[in-house]
Amino acid sequence: MPNIRVLRDIKARELVKANEVIRRAYLYVARNESLPPQVRHQAQLQLNTLGRYTRPTTVKNRCSESGRGRGIMSEFALCRYQFRLKALNNEIPGVRKASW
Amino acid sequence: MAASITPSRLAALVKTRCQIFQTAYNPTSARTGAKYLRARLRGPSMVKYYPPVANIAELARTYKNAGVVDFAEAQRLKDVEDKKRRGKGAPAKAKDKGQSRRTARRR
Repeated sequence: MPNIRVLRDIKARELVKANEVIRRAYLYVARNESLPPQVRHQAQLQLNTLGRYTRPTTVKNRCSESGRGRGIMSEFALCRYQFRLKALNNEIPGVRKASW
Repeated sequence: MAASITPSRLAALVKTRCQIFQTAYNPTSARTGAKYLRARLRGPSMVKYYPPVANIAELARTYKNAGVVDFAEAQRLKDVEDKKRRGKGAPAKAKDKGQSRRTARRR
Protein backbone atom coordinates (compact mmCIF):
# COMPACT_ATOMS: atom_id res chain seq x y z
CA MET A 1 0.00 0.00 0.00
CA PRO A 2 1.54 3.35 -1.02
CA ASN A 3 1.89 5.93 1.73
CA ILE A 4 -0.10 9.18 1.86
CA ARG A 5 2.53 11.24 0.07
CA VAL A 6 2.48 8.86 -2.86
CA LEU A 7 -1.33 8.83 -2.87
CA ARG A 8 -1.33 12.62 -2.89
CA ASP A 9 1.12 12.60 -5.77
CA ILE A 10 -1.07 10.16 -7.73
CA LYS A 11 -4.03 12.48 -7.14
CA ALA A 12 -1.97 15.45 -8.36
CA ARG A 13 -0.95 13.58 -11.50
CA GLU A 14 -4.52 12.70 -12.34
CA LEU A 15 -5.73 16.26 -11.75
CA VAL A 16 -2.91 17.68 -13.86
CA LYS A 17 -3.90 15.39 -16.69
CA ALA A 18 -7.60 16.25 -16.35
CA ASN A 19 -7.03 20.02 -16.35
CA GLU A 20 -4.06 20.26 -18.70
CA VAL A 21 -5.91 21.37 -21.84
CA ILE A 22 -8.00 24.08 -20.17
CA ARG A 23 -4.92 25.26 -18.30
CA ARG A 24 -2.93 25.56 -21.54
CA ALA A 25 -5.78 27.50 -23.14
CA TYR A 26 -5.86 30.02 -20.28
CA LEU A 27 -2.07 30.29 -20.33
CA TYR A 28 -2.16 31.02 -24.05
CA VAL A 29 -4.65 33.85 -23.56
CA ALA A 30 -2.93 35.24 -20.48
CA ARG A 31 0.55 35.30 -22.04
CA ASN A 32 -0.49 36.53 -25.49
CA GLU A 33 0.62 40.16 -25.76
CA SER A 34 -1.52 40.79 -28.84
CA LEU A 35 -4.75 40.38 -26.85
CA PRO A 36 -6.32 43.23 -24.84
CA PRO A 37 -5.05 43.52 -21.24
CA GLN A 38 -8.54 43.03 -19.78
CA VAL A 39 -8.96 39.68 -21.49
CA ARG A 40 -5.48 38.59 -20.43
CA HIS A 41 -6.20 39.59 -16.84
CA GLN A 42 -9.44 37.62 -16.82
CA ALA A 43 -7.60 34.57 -18.09
CA GLN A 44 -5.00 34.98 -15.34
CA LEU A 45 -7.77 35.17 -12.73
CA GLN A 46 -9.25 31.97 -14.13
CA LEU A 47 -5.83 30.33 -13.87
CA ASN A 48 -5.70 31.31 -10.22
CA THR A 49 -9.05 29.65 -9.54
CA LEU A 50 -7.78 26.26 -10.74
CA GLY A 51 -6.82 24.03 -7.87
CA ARG A 52 -3.40 23.54 -6.36
CA TYR A 53 -2.99 20.04 -7.77
CA THR A 54 -3.72 21.08 -11.35
CA ARG A 55 -0.27 22.68 -11.58
CA PRO A 56 2.30 20.33 -13.09
CA THR A 57 4.96 21.63 -10.68
CA THR A 58 3.15 20.05 -7.72
CA VAL A 59 3.95 16.62 -9.14
CA LYS A 60 7.05 15.05 -7.67
CA ASN A 61 8.66 11.78 -8.64
CA ARG A 62 8.64 9.57 -5.54
CA CYS A 63 9.86 6.06 -4.85
CA SER A 64 7.15 3.58 -5.80
CA GLU A 65 8.38 1.12 -3.15
CA SER A 66 9.12 3.30 -0.11
CA GLY A 67 7.57 6.66 -1.00
CA ARG A 68 10.88 8.45 -0.46
CA GLY A 69 11.10 11.84 -2.17
CA ARG A 70 14.85 12.22 -2.48
CA GLY A 71 17.51 10.23 -4.26
CA ILE A 72 15.09 8.95 -6.89
CA MET A 73 16.12 7.27 -10.13
CA SER A 74 13.19 8.36 -12.28
CA GLU A 75 13.74 5.69 -14.95
CA PHE A 76 12.97 3.00 -12.37
CA ALA A 77 10.72 5.09 -10.05
CA LEU A 78 12.84 3.89 -7.13
CA CYS A 79 14.97 5.57 -4.51
CA ARG A 80 18.65 4.70 -4.38
CA TYR A 81 18.31 2.13 -1.58
CA GLN A 82 15.29 0.31 -3.04
CA PHE A 83 17.05 0.38 -6.40
CA ARG A 84 20.09 -1.30 -4.84
CA LEU A 85 17.99 -3.92 -3.06
CA LYS A 86 16.04 -4.78 -6.19
CA ALA A 87 19.07 -4.73 -8.45
CA LEU A 88 20.95 -7.10 -6.16
CA ASN A 89 17.88 -9.36 -6.18
CA ASN A 90 17.91 -9.36 -10.01
CA GLU A 91 14.45 -7.80 -10.04
CA ILE A 92 15.38 -4.99 -12.43
CA PRO A 93 15.96 -6.21 -16.00
CA GLY A 94 19.28 -5.19 -17.53
CA VAL A 95 20.82 -3.96 -14.27
CA ARG A 96 23.70 -5.79 -12.58
CA LYS A 97 26.36 -4.89 -10.07
CA ALA A 98 29.49 -3.46 -11.65
CA SER A 99 32.62 -5.54 -11.39
CA TRP A 100 35.91 -5.14 -13.23
CA MET B 1 31.00 42.52 -47.04
CA ALA B 2 28.61 41.79 -44.18
CA ALA B 3 28.85 45.33 -42.80
CA SER B 4 27.41 46.86 -45.97
CA ILE B 5 24.04 45.01 -45.67
CA THR B 6 21.38 47.42 -44.43
CA PRO B 7 18.95 46.42 -41.62
CA SER B 8 16.00 46.77 -43.97
CA ARG B 9 17.56 44.27 -46.36
CA LEU B 10 18.15 41.86 -43.46
CA ALA B 11 14.53 42.25 -42.36
CA ALA B 12 13.36 41.49 -45.89
CA LEU B 13 15.55 38.41 -45.88
CA VAL B 14 14.03 37.18 -42.62
CA LYS B 15 10.54 37.82 -43.97
CA THR B 16 11.26 35.82 -47.12
CA ARG B 17 12.72 33.03 -45.02
CA CYS B 18 9.56 32.92 -42.91
CA GLN B 19 7.46 32.70 -46.07
CA ILE B 20 9.54 29.86 -47.45
CA PHE B 21 9.61 27.77 -44.28
CA GLN B 22 6.10 28.80 -43.18
CA THR B 23 7.11 30.16 -39.80
CA ALA B 24 5.52 33.18 -38.11
CA TYR B 25 7.23 36.49 -38.93
CA ASN B 26 7.66 38.24 -35.60
CA PRO B 27 10.30 40.98 -35.95
CA THR B 28 9.57 42.57 -32.54
CA SER B 29 9.68 39.19 -30.73
CA ALA B 30 6.25 39.90 -29.22
CA ARG B 31 5.04 37.14 -26.91
CA THR B 32 2.18 35.32 -28.56
CA GLY B 33 1.81 32.49 -26.06
CA ALA B 34 2.22 30.00 -28.89
CA LYS B 35 4.67 27.95 -26.86
CA TYR B 36 1.86 26.86 -24.52
CA LEU B 37 -0.07 25.48 -27.48
CA ARG B 38 2.97 24.02 -29.21
CA ALA B 39 4.29 22.03 -26.24
CA ARG B 40 3.22 18.42 -25.95
CA LEU B 41 0.77 17.42 -23.22
CA ARG B 42 2.60 16.04 -20.20
CA GLY B 43 -0.33 14.56 -18.29
CA PRO B 44 -0.60 11.19 -20.09
CA SER B 45 3.01 10.27 -19.31
CA MET B 46 2.73 11.72 -15.78
CA VAL B 47 -0.04 9.33 -14.71
CA LYS B 48 2.00 6.37 -15.93
CA TYR B 49 4.87 6.96 -13.48
CA TYR B 50 3.78 4.66 -10.66
CA PRO B 51 3.20 0.98 -11.48
CA PRO B 52 -0.47 0.02 -10.96
CA VAL B 53 -1.27 -1.58 -7.60
CA ALA B 54 -4.21 -3.89 -6.92
CA ASN B 55 -6.74 -2.28 -4.58
CA ILE B 56 -7.75 -5.24 -2.38
CA ALA B 57 -10.55 -3.37 -0.61
CA GLU B 58 -12.18 -2.45 -3.91
CA LEU B 59 -11.70 -5.96 -5.33
CA ALA B 60 -13.36 -7.45 -2.27
CA ARG B 61 -16.26 -5.00 -2.58
CA THR B 62 -16.91 -5.75 -6.27
CA TYR B 63 -16.48 -9.56 -6.00
CA LYS B 64 -18.22 -10.00 -2.65
CA ASN B 65 -20.60 -12.57 -4.16
CA ALA B 66 -17.68 -14.61 -5.50
CA GLY B 67 -16.41 -15.09 -1.93
CA VAL B 68 -13.52 -12.60 -1.99
CA VAL B 69 -12.81 -11.43 1.57
CA ASP B 70 -10.76 -8.41 2.62
CA PHE B 71 -9.08 -9.91 5.70
CA ALA B 72 -7.74 -6.60 7.02
CA GLU B 73 -11.20 -5.00 6.86
CA ALA B 74 -12.86 -8.05 8.44
CA GLN B 75 -10.34 -7.96 11.28
CA ARG B 76 -10.93 -4.24 11.82
CA LEU B 77 -14.71 -4.69 12.05
CA LYS B 78 -14.19 -7.56 14.49
CA ASP B 79 -11.89 -5.41 16.65
CA VAL B 80 -14.46 -2.59 16.69
CA GLU B 81 -17.14 -5.04 17.85
CA ASP B 82 -14.83 -6.37 20.59
CA LYS B 83 -14.08 -2.85 21.82
CA LYS B 84 -17.78 -1.97 21.90
CA ARG B 85 -18.49 -5.11 23.96
CA ARG B 86 -15.85 -4.10 26.48
CA GLY B 87 -17.26 -0.57 26.66
CA LYS B 88 -14.21 0.92 24.93
CA GLY B 89 -15.90 1.94 21.69
CA ALA B 90 -16.10 5.40 20.16
CA PRO B 91 -18.58 7.78 21.84
CA ALA B 92 -21.96 8.21 20.20
CA LYS B 93 -22.33 10.97 17.62
CA ALA B 94 -23.91 14.16 18.94
CA LYS B 95 -27.49 14.66 17.66
CA ASP B 96 -27.25 18.47 17.87
CA LYS B 97 -24.80 21.20 18.78
CA GLY B 98 -25.73 21.14 22.50
CA GLN B 99 -24.70 17.52 22.87
CA SER B 100 -21.32 18.14 21.32
CA ARG B 101 -18.50 17.41 23.75
CA ARG B 102 -16.51 20.27 22.32
CA THR B 103 -19.14 22.88 23.28
CA ALA B 104 -19.61 21.21 26.69
CA ARG B 105 -15.90 21.61 27.43
CA ARG B 106 -15.95 25.29 26.52
CA ARG B 107 -18.75 26.07 28.94
